[in-house]
Amino acid sequence: MTFSQVLRTMMIKDSGKNSGQEEQLPPEQDIRPPTLAHTLEEFQDCSDITHLTFPNHQTDLIYFDQMTDKDKLSRHILKPLLSGNDEEVAKMLQHLQPFRMTSSKSLILEILSGGVAVFNGQDAYAFNVYSPENRAISQSETETVITGPHDAFTEQVSTSLAMIRSRLKSSHLKVLRLSVGEITKTDVYLLYVKDIVNMRFVEEAKKRISEIEVDAMLDTNMLIQYMDDSKYSIFPQFLTSERPDAIVSKLVSGRVAGIVDGSPSAFTLPTSFFEFFSSSDDYYQRWILGSAIRLLRFIAFVITISFTAMYVSVTTFHYEMIPENLLLTLTESRSRVPFPPLYEALLMEITIELLREAGARLPTKIGQTIGIVGGIVIGQAAVQAGLTSNILIIAVASSAIASFVIPSYVMSASIRLIRFGLILLAGFLGNLGLVFGIAAIVIHLSGLTSMGSSYLNPVAPFEPKDWKDIFIRAPFKSLRERPTQSDSPNKVRNKTKE
Amino acid sequence: MENNEKLSPFHTTILVFMIQSGVMALILPQLLAETFGTNGWITVFGFGIIATVNILLIAAVYKLGKGRSIFQILEQSIPRFMLIPIYLALAVVWTLLGCMAGKEYILIFQMYAFPTTNPMEFKLIMDLLVFWLLTKGLYNITKTSTIFFWLFIWMVLLAFFFYSDFNWARLTPFLFKGGKFTYLESLDIYSSFLGYEIVLLLFAYTNQKTKLIKATLIGNSVTTLTYCYLAFITFGVYSLGQLKNKAFPVLEMMAYIRFPFMERMENLLFGFILFTVLFSILMYEWCALEMLKHIFPKLKANFLAFMLMLMCFIVAYIPDTINDVGDWLSTLSMIECGIAFGLPLLLLIVLMFQSMGSRLAHE
Repeated sequence: MTFSQVLRTMMIKDSGKNSGQEEQLPPEQDIRPPTLAHTLEEFQDCSDITHLTFPNHQTDLIYFDQMTDKDKLSRHILKPLLSGNDEEVAKMLQHLQPFRMTSSKSLILEILSGGVAVFNGQDAYAFNVYSPENRAISQSETETVITGPHDAFTEQVSTSLAMIRSRLKSSHLKVLRLSVGEITKTDVYLLYVKDIVNMRFVEEAKKRISEIEVDAMLDTNMLIQYMDDSKYSIFPQFLTSERPDAIVSKLVSGRVAGIVDGSPSAFTLPTSFFEFFSSSDDYYQRWILGSAIRLLRFIAFVITISFTAMYVSVTTFHYEMIPENLLLTLTESRSRVPFPPLYEALLMEITIELLREAGARLPTKIGQTIGIVGGIVIGQAAVQAGLTSNILIIAVASSAIASFVIPSYVMSASIRLIRFGLILLAGFLGNLGLVFGIAAIVIHLSGLTSMGSSYLNPVAPFEPKDWKDIFIRAPFKSLRERPTQSDSPNKVRNKTKE
Repeated sequence: MENNEKLSPFHTTILVFMIQSGVMALILPQLLAETFGTNGWITVFGFGIIATVNILLIAAVYKLGKGRSIFQILEQSIPRFMLIPIYLALAVVWTLLGCMAGKEYILIFQMYAFPTTNPMEFKLIMDLLVFWLLTKGLYNITKTSTIFFWLFIWMVLLAFFFYSDFNWARLTPFLFKGGKFTYLESLDIYSSFLGYEIVLLLFAYTNQKTKLIKATLIGNSVTTLTYCYLAFITFGVYSLGQLKNKAFPVLEMMAYIRFPFMERMENLLFGFILFTVLFSILMYEWCALEMLKHIFPKLKANFLAFMLMLMCFIVAYIPDTINDVGDWLSTLSMIECGIAFGLPLLLLIVLMFQSMGSRLAHE
């Protein structure tokens, strides 16, 4: 494209003519009948596949040994075949009738999903004997609570679904199965409660998931990035959780949940910025405590984004803002530091981030060592060496601690990164830079949407009745309606008499 | 999905308040003292009422035009070639008004905190923020205004700090003594109420549920009450003589706020005023952009917005000092007052001709 053409496309409106893009057809289904030869050909060079032949009964079995439940396989399939009794084999084949396969493609898919393929003459059956090695249900390490249930999802989607079903015993809980990943063929389950959810969100989620054309889908956090409304935003646009109780509470409040097979976390939609500041814990404590903790998290948010930036701004441009008594201490501690406050702050912030990242990647025991070493290095040694001031250490440490108060790890990480932008702005433009930065964050947030609904709900659009479950956690009796954001056709959730 | 939604009453109220309030609020008490003398704060109500009358004039256009946009009303009766100069003139006034309001804010900030920095550096960032918002469309602009409103309005609580310094005796029992009334100064005072006339361009973005006029009236009342409260406190904290001689009495008052760990916060607090100043600038530029979109229908809105902000940035180089900017602002505000009353009147005349024409056609 020449420069003049580029300029033209930037200036002049598109006349609306279609560039003649061809509509893509879905890949053709393989509707050939299943045959042993074709199946074996498909799994050629797969040394982990098991192929057993029983010539007496003209029967062949094909399955992946490591994915099957040995006991089930032996009881239902192998035992009748090995017994050599024709009657028993006929009985087994009769039992298999409901699992008869008509297309080669579906049979292969069944084998891949842990089924055993039984070929008998011209007929083929697939019987599910899937039983993979599984991690035991344990506590979530990223979303710990003090009171309330401690179990968390596992990588096994059937276990995760069972945990939700056991908490939400209703036939209205619907589960849609979709498949993503052309090679991995990962199952993605969309969950919603019929009559409570707004089907608009279900349809939109289904549409976005089915539009994904990628070779592999490995985790929930990967899937949601494909579904984002604004792919360039730093903020997460879906809430993720490893806790079944949290997901169930979102489902009954009219939101849609989703789980990716092989991932221990589920996502919910639509979500808002403020939702990331609440935790299941808030509901399991007395409401006053829950409210106080929520407010504390918002204070933590302010501290984490502004403390270090404020220090830089004040010590670079606005010394007059510090009261006289404090000024003496500050000047004394800064007198030995040879760098401008901006470099000093960036140095310390990067060190803290290095420590955090190292701590997160290392095993717990070595992680502790890192903590101690880091504590000494950035605490005592840096000050004594004259690389930084005491007060900055306090500012950096408190903003780091405050960032960990935010319950969602993804949100907390985003906020920590934004902090660097604010520090730079404060270093160049002082308080005005800080305000410019805040304005930019707000402008960006206001433009964001989650599945088409405002990311700043319930502040903008203004829905004051939702505030009592966002900024505080009001007593349960006053939380009568489902959140406006889920736009539920069935608004009332709590009919308990006052 | 929501981008095509119409404005809600609450958002419109907030938007009107955010456009109206701005840097002028900081100078207002001094202007009131100089023009009206003792107890000048009472006149704020009077100006509020004038603004209300003007809004009612706009209401008449909204009602008679049955919610049609002003472009539809005008283009139905007046040929396009005659309208283009009007659009262009309006666009120029609004661009300059936004531009100068921004420059004034920046210059005040520079005077207080950054005497050696080039103010155009700040102006560049401010214009970038305005440009960014302009490209987001009106619905997102109103959402942003709601958040900015909360980030700004908490400062009203700071007035509690002045309760101990407030002295009823300073208000004196005299009414309007010691002032020097001039029409020009009172126009300057009235200019702090300007901004509501922008709803003329919001017609197309509203429906019945918006309750545009009611929301605008409430927005104007909130502005009037805020100004009045601010002026009342200032009149009680400073004596008339002091007030007349202070350039930015409200800012100086803010400098007295002290916390154990922080004091002299006026430049931080002045920073927070950016949230409302940004909206005054933004909405004037938005109006200019709407005009430009009608002058150059074939050009992309984002390109027009870019050119608009580029012009705005270049023009801001011309006036150097706060006084120069103040002079530009005074002249522009005077023209804007004319537009605020003149444009609805023009529209009403056009509408009357249109209704006469349709009646004749029926007969």
